[in-house]
Amino acid sequence: MTDISTGAARSLPQRARKSRFSAKAVLPYIFILPPVMYLAVFMFWPLARQIYLSFTKTRLINPSRSQFIGLDNYDRLLASPDFYSALHITVVYSVMAVVLGVALGTIAALALNRPFPGRTIVRAVLLFGWAVPNVAASLVWLWIFNERSGVLNRIVTGLGLDSVPWLTTTHMALPSVLLVTVWQVAPFVMLVMLAALQSVPEEVREAARIDNADKLNIFRAVTLPHVMPTLQLVSLLVAVWSIRRFDIIYLLTGGGPIGSTSTLIVKLRQTAFENHDLGLASAYGVIGLILALSVATIHALFNRHRAKRSMQ
Amino acid sequence: MTMIPRLLHVALVVVLVIFGGFPVYWMASTALSTNAELYNTGQSAGLQLQNLPSLLSELSKVPLLRWLTNTSIVALGTTVLSLTLGALAGYALSRFRFRGKGIIGFLLFMTQVVPEALILVPLYAMFISLGLLNSLWGLVLANVGFSLPVAAFIIKGAIDAVPYEIEEAAAVDNCPRFGVLTMVILPIIAPSLAAAAIIAFFAGWNEYLFAATFLMDNTMWPASVGLASFIGQYETPLSAVMGAALIFSLPAVVFFLIIQRKIVAGITSGAVKG
Repeated sequence: MTDISTGAARSLPQRARKSRFSAKAVLPYIFILPPVMYLAVFMFWPLARQIYLSFTKTRLINPSRSQFIGLDNYDRLLASPDFYSALHITVVYSVMAVVLGVALGTIAALALNRPFPGRTIVRAVLLFGWAVPNVAASLVWLWIFNERSGVLNRIVTGLGLDSVPWLTTTHMALPSVLLVTVWQVAPFVMLVMLAALQSVPEEVREAARIDNADKLNIFRAVTLPHVMPTLQLVSLLVAVWSIRRFDIIYLLTGGGPIGSTSTLIVKLRQTAFENHDLGLASAYGVIGLILALSVATIHALFNRHRAKRSMQ
Repeated sequence: MTMIPRLLHVALVVVLVIFGGFPVYWMASTALSTNAELYNTGQSAGLQLQNLPSLLSELSKVPLLRWLTNTSIVALGTTVLSLTLGALAGYALSRFRFRGKGIIGFLLFMTQVVPEALILVPLYAMFISLGLLNSLWGLVLANVGFSLPVAAFIIKGAIDAVPYEIEEAAAVDNCPRFGVLTMVILPIIAPSLAAAAIIAFFAGWNEYLFAATFLMDNTMWPASVGLASFIGQYETPLSAVMGAALIFSLPAVVFFLIIQRKIVAGITSGAVKG
């Protein structure tokens, strides 16, 4: 690094000791401190406040008058059917988003991993769902799902069936929201998986081919292990994003009908800004955060386990 | 390759293209339809380009220009602040060893797990006392919390790939460390900086939850909030709504397609776009 200055300092022991506390030791912190301070103020302080709020009775009308009530909000949460419903919906929504989004994205990546005419354009079109902003996506899907004039119901009634209330009945709303979610998530999965597939070393596949392995076996023995870490990472990301997701769900259904698409995060905003109950809202949020953190932790443990195994 | 798998492959690609591309096509088709078609006689499946003039006159009733100006201010502010702070963090994480480095890296990653909604209320309270509630700058400050770590990860990854000798040469020339970063390193990693800038820009461009909560005054609305206000409202013709949505989407689609490969490279060091 700065060889000249340290060389000079070494010949003068007293100055060397001093300099440990000056320029050189301080330098990294001069760089890292502004961003860290920023996050402390605008990310971690609000986060800590929110977690603290979950142990208080606080109303949105007068947030400065809050009263510490220990675990009462969590007691209320655990006693309320709304909470179990929101937790259930969050888990179902996230699991389905991961399963369907990752499956479709991986299938798309496999389909695009071999050359064909027009591949570049196809690849661009398949990325639309990922690139279109949430609000614009919600507007067009609301129109596609429109019960009377939407294109889906025109097709359905054209086939002689009854029109489907895509977003307005309890048993169809979550699947419809999931359809839009998959439309947004699968392109991202495809993008990442395609890169992973293209990095499979061709020589290994060639060697397997010479050994007369059939296609399915090459895929199982060569391709799949190679892309497995990426597959896991992308599943983690989709899971965490699904637990966090607000915009699409809120804009498509507002959490309804009758709470059938109210995930923990949708519930958090409703409880805070419609029921003005900040304490309970925070408790919803904390449970959501714990859920997201446990998914990330499980992924980290998986990774460590794999790293250990590959070292042996 | 035999005939049947090839046919299957073609069929699969066709289905994927329809599913992936149809909603965007439908936005354009709806924008170019008349209200009578949309609600009574039935929407035509084609693009009726002859309706473009009437679409433009309908669009003039939507304050789209003001919304997009507000959106651009938020997006630009988010980009500049995220990149400045992200470059400092990325450089420190790439080039220095210091106490607390591991924790800081972990905390940066943590921000990507935190739901926006979870810090909404405390930020709301903070912005009331700072006088930032009904302000675009408040939105910028809130957005940067999420896009700064992403920028930091991308920049760290890019600096990791720059040989250290380049910096040593600059250090011999007596260039101070900050100068090394701004005059030597940042120009070398310009492509990654551009990718980080695009990601931060469109994070600000697309953001809805903070904007919908912190802005009371509808002259301050960015396009995301303005467009969302059309939901459940039937005064504005649907064609104008879809036209506006399309114009709002277009820059995001174009730039994300340009930087898609960079995003894949960045994904291994942290979450990028949700």
